[in-house]
Amino acid sequence: MEQLAVQVERLVVNYGTFTAVENLSFQVRTGEVYGLLGPNGAGKTTTLKVLIGTLQPKAGKVEIFNTPLSDEVTVKSHIGYVPEEVVLLDSLTPREFLEFIASVRNIDRKSINLRIGKLTLAFQLTQYFDTPIAALSMGNKQKVAIIAALMHEPQLLILDEPLIGLDARSSRILKELINFQAKKGGAVIFSTHIMEVAEKLCNRVGIINKGKIVSEGTVEDLRKLVKSAEGSLEDIFLKVTEQEAGMQEIVKALEEE
Amino acid sequence: MNFRRLWKLSSRIYREISFQSLFSLRTGSSIPQSGRGNINQIIQSAQINALLSKILTTILIGFLGLAILLPLTSSISPTSLPREVALVGGISTFLAAVMFLVAFMGLQVATSLVSSKISDTLSPLPLTKRDISNIIFICFTRIFDIPLAAAVIVLLGAYFLAGGTILGGLVAFVGIIVTEVFALTLAVGLARFFYAKVMSGGGRSKWKVVQRAFFMLVWILPTFGSYFVMNFASQIFESSSMLAQNLSSTNPLVMLVYPFCFSTLISFATFPQEISLFSLGLAGIASVSYVALAAICLRWVTNAIRRIGSGGIAAVTREPVKDTLIKPQRAWLGIIHKDLRIASRAPSYASLFLLPTLQTVLLAISFSSFDGSSLTTALGALTGMSMVTLLLPPTLFSIEGLASAYTRSLPTTKRMLIFAKTFLSVIIYMSSLVALSAVTLFLGRDFTNVLVYGLIHMLSITAAILLELKILVNKFWKEGFAMGNIYARLSTFVLILIPAYVIAGAPLVVSFITLFVASKLAATALIVTEILEFTVMVIIAFHEKK
Repeated sequence: MEQLAVQVERLVVNYGTFTAVENLSFQVRTGEVYGLLGPNGAGKTTTLKVLIGTLQPKAGKVEIFNTPLSDEVTVKSHIGYVPEEVVLLDSLTPREFLEFIASVRNIDRKSINLRIGKLTLAFQLTQYFDTPIAALSMGNKQKVAIIAALMHEPQLLILDEPLIGLDARSSRILKELINFQAKKGGAVIFSTHIMEVAEKLCNRVGIINKGKIVSEGTVEDLRKLVKSAEGSLEDIFLKVTEQEAGMQEIVKALEEE
Repeated sequence: MNFRRLWKLSSRIYREISFQSLFSLRTGSSIPQSGRGNINQIIQSAQINALLSKILTTILIGFLGLAILLPLTSSISPTSLPREVALVGGISTFLAAVMFLVAFMGLQVATSLVSSKISDTLSPLPLTKRDISNIIFICFTRIFDIPLAAAVIVLLGAYFLAGGTILGGLVAFVGIIVTEVFALTLAVGLARFFYAKVMSGGGRSKWKVVQRAFFMLVWILPTFGSYFVMNFASQIFESSSMLAQNLSSTNPLVMLVYPFCFSTLISFATFPQEISLFSLGLAGIASVSYVALAAICLRWVTNAIRRIGSGGIAAVTREPVKDTLIKPQRAWLGIIHKDLRIASRAPSYASLFLLPTLQTVLLAISFSSFDGSSLTTALGALTGMSMVTLLLPPTLFSIEGLASAYTRSLPTTKRMLIFAKTFLSVIIYMSSLVALSAVTLFLGRDFTNVLVYGLIHMLSITAAILLELKILVNKFWKEGFAMGNIYARLSTFVLILIPAYVIAGAPLVVSFITLFVASKLAATALIVTEILEFTVMVIIAFHEKK
């Protein structure tokens, strides 16, 4: 039976006097891959940071599997998170970093080693397992963060632009894992700028602009909603985020230079 | 590109280096939630921080100059030694002190220089490779401008006040320039060494771990060198004067050793009739050789710093990976293990971890009257040791601020953190106690009092640490553990330390008072107070919400 994995109601987040998220509401069900789309600075990362407990909302209700954020240990135990900017404990090696994460998450040694073996092989990270994270490329750091997010088999995956920096093979594997996570009854919420990815992967998308959800539904739902947009999700996206207006003129002006 | 444009471009880059060091280390790479004003505050405080660091080093150099060189300006020698020998000792100590201080400051900066990856930003711009190299080099030298100038002014000022001659002043000028070049070489050399052997060197074999630990010790050498010089300036001054006098008469080859060669030349230029021509010849040859060596060092430093800026030294030594097995532990043990691993690779943390033990040993050795068998001295030594140990928990806590933008998404509990950090702090206290007992034994005195009272006092120390951590956890749980949060407000930091000092000090005070009133009950009073404090704090800590 479908259950609510994420419930966000009238969320407000401020940075000083600037309101980054304003009365934002959406839900993600189990078995669902939910894509959060929006232009730069729309409030996607801020929303995800509230879900993982690193940002404090000013107002609103947020529940993960019907547990309020105030019960942070329970909430964080359900979640696997990949940040947009991968800042890890650079002086540790991936082995040491994952060992630390596994300790804090209280994971059983036998099961974790089997899973880590499979994940490092899948993401081709084995050869870097004893190299300090500081010396890894951005893509490999991203892989370490992805393995750390997946290793405890979380019920909810929160991925902030997870495909940036990944090579084609790892990107494909991650997409498969995202689908598998939904199929086995978990939930995934991720932000992306790549419309094709959202179109292929997501059951539902929420388009966020200036801190508000301006449109939500399946890609088909959105097409119906925006009557003139017969093309891709990108066209719908530009339309609902009001970025289409005047775009042709700007491009023309640039070409004329 | 002309120097003016290079200087202008280097200003921007220099500001970026200051900001990066503050942003990654002190804020855990997370933007504070209080908005734009707060981000501007980080940018501003990064610049102030860089300036403060320069001013602080300058003040230290000035202070050392006053302590070491000013007594020489009086007509009576500060020691029983002849003036020309005292001058050799004073100038040698000052030169050595400047070398360690500048090298220590350089080490901190060189790491920021590497992590900021300046060349990544500059390379795509229409600049030649030479321009980029020059900008990076100018940035590096700008970090030291005030302290380097201050060292020259202090030495020459003090020397001329002491009645120096023009010739002696010229030699002093050459001597301090050579010292500064050596200091920069030491800083850059060790930074290269650190990145090549510690930071980039992976591997999990025992040999690799031992190797990394050894390299780390080598790296933090200037830290302890400058710490030692600052604490024992006058003793070093007297020792080096004595050394100069004794060795110059028995073994004139000491004149070949830096910095004695320069100070001997300066002394000769000031009091020519007092020093033998043979010694002068040796000192002259050695000084010219050191000038030549400094010229080579300067060229090397110039090239090395350009390579550091281009990320050229981060060569990775990779061992073949045999397996991908990990060994998860209990959460609190995992946190301790992580802290120790980070400290074993970050010199700033490593030196802080070692500070209580080192401070205790130095204090014990420097007090020649130290007698462990006396209860009063034992309690005095324990008080000093406790005070340094209690400075540790905020530092241990600030490790949680590293990469907190990520780690705060983990299900860590308050109790878990308090327990892990307390355990680690107590281990560090225990190693200081073992070191103190060993020194007492080495001095040929009875160490029983130190060991027994130290073990009993562990209860009170644990209570004080628990209190510090409880305040810290509750205060910073929501806003984050970044170092910037903890150390930015000095009042907060002091307010955390005061109750901890009261808790740690109370049993010792009670014991001291009882010692005078009813000496037989001193130990009982200590034990009772310690047990009481420990029990109360453990109950409070265990009532902490998970």
